[in-house]
Amino acid sequence: MKKLIPFLFAVLLFASCQKDPDLDKLDNDFVVFTNYDTKTNFGAFGTYYLPDSILLISSNAEAKYWTDANAQQIIATFAAQMNARGYVPVADKDDADLGIQLSYVESTNYFYNYGSSPYWWWGYPGYWTPGYWGTGWGDWYYPYPIVYSYSVGSMLAEIVDIHGDPAAGSKTKLPVVWTAYMSGLLSGSSQFNLQLAIRSVEQAFAQSPYIKTSAI
Amino acid sequence: MKTLKNISVQIAAVLLMFLAIPKQGDAQIVNNMYFNADWQINVPLGNDFANKASGWGANFEAGYYLTPNVTLGAFISYMTNHKYVGRETLSISNSSVITGDQQHSIFQLPFGASMRYSFAPYYSMFEPYASIKLGANYSEMSTYMNIFKIHDDTWGFYLSPELGLNIFPNPEKRFGFHIAAYYSYATNKASVLTYTKDNLNNFGVRIGVIF
Repeated sequence: MKKLIPFLFAVLLFASCQKDPDLDKLDNDFVVFTNYDTKTNFGAFGTYYLPDSILLISSNAEAKYWTDANAQQIIATFAAQMNARGYVPVADKDDADLGIQLSYVESTNYFYNYGSSPYWWWGYPGYWTPGYWGTGWGDWYYPYPIVYSYSVGSMLAEIVDIHGDPAAGSKTKLPVVWTAYMSGLLSGSSQFNLQLAIRSVEQAFAQSPYIKTSAI
Repeated sequence: MKTLKNISVQIAAVLLMFLAIPKQGDAQIVNNMYFNADWQINVPLGNDFANKASGWGANFEAGYYLTPNVTLGAFISYMTNHKYVGRETLSISNSSVITGDQQHSIFQLPFGASMRYSFAPYYSMFEPYASIKLGANYSEMSTYMNIFKIHDDTWGFYLSPELGLNIFPNPEKRFGFHIAAYYSYATNKASVLTYTKDNLNNFGVRIGVIF
């Protein structure tokens, strides 16, 4: 058995000889991943509520929100996409069928703090809580497998089905019927990063043709 | 004068002939063994996932002379092949979709036993041979999407026939040059995103040294 050890060591040594491809050949556009609940009929909804800020997932224990002009451009892109699919924005979330929550990963610190949970962000302070969408919602419900490891610079978008409007305190699980994960290598230019983010939002909708009202 | 010159040429020819016949006991650095170290170019065959020929590879082999013609030994080699794929949208399940450009990569690390038959082992500075390699093949099939890497690591059975030539510039055969062409087949099965690969076939050339 001892004679095998140098041989196994040699195998491991050679395994490290793997040559990575030239990653400079890759374009700068974000990778866009989307998933949705196939049992949800998006045509049954007509209105949506979109908050005016993006949650920053950072190393802070307090919630931080991204609200500057760049954030507004990204939010406006979401709104334009939803409008183009026939949905009508409403000013009061109690009147909305769908809610949209946007988050941006500024730091991955909380990966480690909440690693024991299947969805690490459940304990994250300031993350969109189900209660934000109404006092009857108690927990998230993801009807599909989700990504639970994110990188710095990632944008997360989720559409929640809030049309049920459960009774206050009923702790009904809030279904997240669509999720989009957009991520890439950030450049030194915030303007360029903004353009990448906007393009990725457009792509997220382009690859989700099922998000549309019955009138479209 | 002319006769003297002819005699000189004949003596030189005889000396060269003796140089080409090594003394059996002095051959190789380790008695009855040889070692190969080669750089190799690997060309994937029938592989759309990562089909670009690549010189990022090497082969190392050692063998023991069972008879003057037949050796039994061990080998280990590695190679990586790539392919760039432009931005595309892939449905990776009935509900999830991913978009991005990709760098595909297949890394292979075969190792195992080799058997070699030498056609002219002791009376020539040129030593052609045929060999067969059998063993295991570790392979990593991966795709790189921006900052992400998605991969599938697999093991398979490895078979590789090879034709080669050892060239010894001195009669003691302590050091020489090596050139070979090989075909290889491995039973690895892997899948990444929407891509699947069943069996790995390669052709390649090795250039190196023997001692």
